[in-house]
Amino acid sequence: MGCSISANNKAGIDVNRFTTWSTWRSVAAGVVILALPVGAGTFNTKVKPVLSEHCFACHGPDAKQRKGDLRLDVPPEEGGMTAERLRDIFGVDGHSSLILERITTQDPDDQMPPSESSTLSDAEIETLTQWLAEGAPYEKHWAFVSPAWPEIPTLKEADARWVRNPIDNFVGRRLAAEGIAPSPEAEAETRLRRVYLDLIGILPTIEQLDAFLADPSDQAYEKVVDDLLASPHFGERWGRHWLDAARYADSNGYSIDGPRQIWPYRDWVINAINEDLPFDDFVRTQLAGDLLPDATQSDRVATGFHRNTMINQEGGIDKEEFRIEGIVDRVDTTGAVFLGLTLGCAKCHDHKYDPVYQEEYYKLFAFYNNDDEIDLDLPTAEESERIALIQAKINEITPESKAYREKAIQEVLPVWLAGLSEEAVKDWGLKEKAAIGIDRASWTAEQEGLLQKRFLQADGPNQEFEKKINDLRAELPKVPQTMVLRKRGEPRETHLFENGDFTRLAQQVLPGTPAVLHAYDGPEIGSRLDLANWIVSRANPLTARVTVNRFWQFLFGRALVETENDFGYQGALPTHPELLDYLANQFIARGWSVKASIREMVTSATYQQASHTRSDLENVDRRNYLLARQNRVRLDAEIIRDATLSASGLLDETIGGPGVYPPQPDGVMKLGQSARPWNESADGDRFRRGMYTFFWRATPHPSLVVFDAPDAMVACTRRSRSNTPLQALTLLNDQAYVEQAEAFAKRIAAAPMESDGEKLRYAFRASLNREPEAHEMQVLSSLLEDFRKASPAPDPWLGVARTLFNLDEFITRE
Amino acid sequence: MRNMTYQDALHGVTRRHFFKQCGVGLGSIALGSLLGNGGDAAAAMQQDSMGILGGKGHHRAKAKNVIFMFMAGGPSQLELFDYKPVLQQYNGQPIPQSYIEGKRFAFMDSFGNDGPPKLLGTVRDFKQHGDCGAWVSECLPHTAGIVDDVSFLKTVATDVPNHAPAKIFMNTGSGQFGRPSMGAWVNYGIGSESQDLPGFVVLQSGPRGPRGGQPNWGSGFLPAAHQGVPFRSTGDPILNLSNPESVGDREQRRVIDAVNDLNRARLDVTGDGEIAARISAYEMAYRMQSSAPELMDLSGETQDTMDLYGAKTGEPSYAMNCLLARRLVERGVRFIQLYHTNWDHHGGNSENLSNSLDDVCRDVDQGSAALVKDLKQRGLLEDTLVIWGGEFGRTPMGEIRDTVGRNHHIECASMWMAGGGIKAGYTHGETDELGFSPIDKPMHVHDLQATILHQLGIDHERLTYRFQGRDFRLTDVAGVVQDDLLA
Repeated sequence: MGCSISANNKAGIDVNRFTTWSTWRSVAAGVVILALPVGAGTFNTKVKPVLSEHCFACHGPDAKQRKGDLRLDVPPEEGGMTAERLRDIFGVDGHSSLILERITTQDPDDQMPPSESSTLSDAEIETLTQWLAEGAPYEKHWAFVSPAWPEIPTLKEADARWVRNPIDNFVGRRLAAEGIAPSPEAEAETRLRRVYLDLIGILPTIEQLDAFLADPSDQAYEKVVDDLLASPHFGERWGRHWLDAARYADSNGYSIDGPRQIWPYRDWVINAINEDLPFDDFVRTQLAGDLLPDATQSDRVATGFHRNTMINQEGGIDKEEFRIEGIVDRVDTTGAVFLGLTLGCAKCHDHKYDPVYQEEYYKLFAFYNNDDEIDLDLPTAEESERIALIQAKINEITPESKAYREKAIQEVLPVWLAGLSEEAVKDWGLKEKAAIGIDRASWTAEQEGLLQKRFLQADGPNQEFEKKINDLRAELPKVPQTMVLRKRGEPRETHLFENGDFTRLAQQVLPGTPAVLHAYDGPEIGSRLDLANWIVSRANPLTARVTVNRFWQFLFGRALVETENDFGYQGALPTHPELLDYLANQFIARGWSVKASIREMVTSATYQQASHTRSDLENVDRRNYLLARQNRVRLDAEIIRDATLSASGLLDETIGGPGVYPPQPDGVMKLGQSARPWNESADGDRFRRGMYTFFWRATPHPSLVVFDAPDAMVACTRRSRSNTPLQALTLLNDQAYVEQAEAFAKRIAAAPMESDGEKLRYAFRASLNREPEAHEMQVLSSLLEDFRKASPAPDPWLGVARTLFNLDEFITRE
Repeated sequence: MRNMTYQDALHGVTRRHFFKQCGVGLGSIALGSLLGNGGDAAAAMQQDSMGILGGKGHHRAKAKNVIFMFMAGGPSQLELFDYKPVLQQYNGQPIPQSYIEGKRFAFMDSFGNDGPPKLLGTVRDFKQHGDCGAWVSECLPHTAGIVDDVSFLKTVATDVPNHAPAKIFMNTGSGQFGRPSMGAWVNYGIGSESQDLPGFVVLQSGPRGPRGGQPNWGSGFLPAAHQGVPFRSTGDPILNLSNPESVGDREQRRVIDAVNDLNRARLDVTGDGEIAARISAYEMAYRMQSSAPELMDLSGETQDTMDLYGAKTGEPSYAMNCLLARRLVERGVRFIQLYHTNWDHHGGNSENLSNSLDDVCRDVDQGSAALVKDLKQRGLLEDTLVIWGGEFGRTPMGEIRDTVGRNHHIECASMWMAGGGIKAGYTHGETDELGFSPIDKPMHVHDLQATILHQLGIDHERLTYRFQGRDFRLTDVAGVVQDDLLA
């Protein structure tokens, strides 16, 4: 489905060949060179990408796979190679070394890397040659070094005029160095639509548009930004980004895909973001809210983050296998979401590229191996009282009922069984029938159980007791529940699984974190809370970077480190490393305020540029790594729905609560094993935001799937954006979209303007939030006219409404 | 192409397209040429039709299209193809412990409580058929008639003993949900020849949908454009295919024209190649609105053909889906999957090896055989790889529930393949005398997947996609092309 990704980005970024800014111009069209801070050596930028791509799989961290006892990912003093061996391999000067002979030979038997995998380019060979000649100096991986506060670049006066905040100094310096001017500021209308869609995911109204156009000053723009950050819809928009990472869904997945109730967790996320809960607390609460001192109900609800794993309810499974699958998912998610590391690679063997070892994978696993997965009732105070009252009554009856049952099973059952006719047992199963007429003592335990069940269902007095209890239970108020983690009384031992196979236990491991990263600042690490504290520690070089990098991705369509979930050796290098470090440090310095970080980004001149492509950049930066413009970004699946709902005026702005069932085509629910119900919502719930649509993992709503909503199987930190005919059919014909277009048509027809032209302008401004051009007016007018002339005459405004909703621009944030 | 990834390739094409053609104003380009199969202008759609391998594949393909008849639930090979007289002889005897020591089964506790599980001989009558002498039971009389066109696989093994993970394993090469399915990989690799229909179509029949649902034909981390599109055998074959009730064909066309017109204007202003791709997408959507109903319109099929399949107009059935599969192949659709439930014969009241097995065999036998015959008589079989089988096999031991059945078995399942460069009248592999384990030519699901890709001209080790720092492929880190199967 719609989750992309890691490195389909390596293409076009040829980090291996050129790394200095002065050489990038000589590169073939469209290739932009990334660079780390000035002053850094060439190992991280030039040499390691070559080694990682071509060598580490056999000569990297994974000891079992290592060939020829040759390790290239660490310097000799860290267990790479002895000095003697180094001398052998490297030779006195680069050109006579054994390695180079193997790399440059034409003999396929000797060639390194083996020819069936990749071959090295001449430039890569040159890079390695030079590195060896320099004595093969190693450097620590850039992402494992804590971000330093970079100096904010000063720009020439002419360039500085463009600057709105420090972000622009970093972007501007790079552009100036390339002799590229930034794009002009986007039109006021575009900027308004952009920031509405990016911050709250709802279109501005015509009134809001007019108000901004009357005063499109910087101050007015910043006021709009502040209003949007304060809007309760901000938590929905940015909460949904987080829910992608949390793999949130409303059903259990696998084959049975039963419904689950975990929407209170979803609402917790929305609220936390609206309250600007500092990101470190945001993480701490979700990983270990239940372990916080004086944990509140809300803190416990937050642990739903790791309850979003799938649950296999299929008959005949080994439950332990799927419990472990869930924990594996928690470890992998922890890596991708908080650390930007592909930890999952170390489940079966040492990581092939990054210095993460299989044992360390299970050390992380151990943090998550000591929980019970429970449902938490969420009654109101009033409901709690009522529950206690009814429960007391049930408790009164229970002992009497139990005593009767036990006695009857011993004394009444045999009499009852002896008196049964053949007719009465004709539908019984083989095992039950076999029990009739033989000595009770020789029944199997299973038969005993089956027969007791039959008896108790038939026995009058027992039924009376059961009825009383059931009636009382029926009076219990239905309180919402949510899925949470709770620390287990009896801890489990964690073992490394050979080759990742849960049936092959190897040595026991204790909770711990990867040695390549910062040390834990405390006496002993063991609980989920310790893990959370380790993650949000200031010493962690990754989490703040990974997080602001994703904010950037959501606001610019691509992150500064394009492989936003892989900051390891195989990941992309940052396009603007110092900017990334600035943002990460600033994020922490501002108390991990998500809103402050986003505010700085959206008020930058960089963000406010026009997104039009520029022919002068086609041959130098066609993928816009240098940020000389904004990017046009197709809206997320849910936001497309929100946009049509807001333009048509149908949007029900209720926040939170159980999932809802907007219309969907017939037959969708039959695609899974169990045909789940889809009782179409009426009234307001029919017009709720896309993020509230009940998400069945086995049969997700087709209009979400078709626009690349993630499948919620594993964490999705970056959605793919496809462009397909099925999307066209959805916007053209799907009942939900047609309903909304009809409402929009009515709205246009009822708008208080006299002329068609005025109404068209109104429709245009309500959907695209800008003035129509003459040609656009002409296209719509002629459509209107044609529809009026046709016989039978269709609703002419419906044609206009559907046309606008189907425009690329409508479903794009420009 | 190794470092060139899909999105980048796609982007390159659209961008090149824009600056060559659209710099002068896209309005001047006729849509006909935009959508043509041969021109350079078909932008993203063209890229989709070629796949990441540029339409060529790694080597010469033997098959163009695949039809995978997925028997959901795991058919019992011991009642259908894998004839074991010794098992019949030992019916009711406990299985020697050496067979099952340390093995994993689903429903570990339902073999009965008294001692080791007992062997279950089939009550079905087996005969040899055709020139090749393949064994087929009385359950599948029509299939018995095509054995000389077919290769039987007797030793297909999988890794996981539960339905949903095993189905996902067969489809994606991994028991973990969220990986791309075979049809998605194939379309990602070599695209589809059909310009009017999706390249990966899924049809379903039987009492319920397959366990696991959408992920069985999902695109995982590949672009969503490659995911399987479920077609329904009655009504609108594709979701949202019909115009809204209140909208006639002319109005629909008129709206699409206006959309494209305004999109072209915006393309001129923004220069974003995505808009060119969207214009193509709307044109294809419009064509699908006529091509998909045309696909479903069986009025051109002769009564003989309908009878061959046992399909009845207006009645959705597996037989109907088989006929539709042939029509999809004729229209160039690359990968077609037919799901039929229920093959999960544990021995429950409605899932036993007596009448339930008869029912499901009757559902699929004639249609499956007819499809092979029909493709052959139309000269399509040589280009079409037909596959029949489920997610795993069933145990030689009986399972006692309400009635008698068999448990899931991962060590060997029987499947068959036909056409697409596969040997005809051949049996691949052999199981031991109880039908418990392979004794000749064991074949893992990854081997099957490698072989399928091979026939399509794809080297399964080289069709990869980088995700979360790793190059993924359909066959994970395994898979050997089964040369003995190839004609």
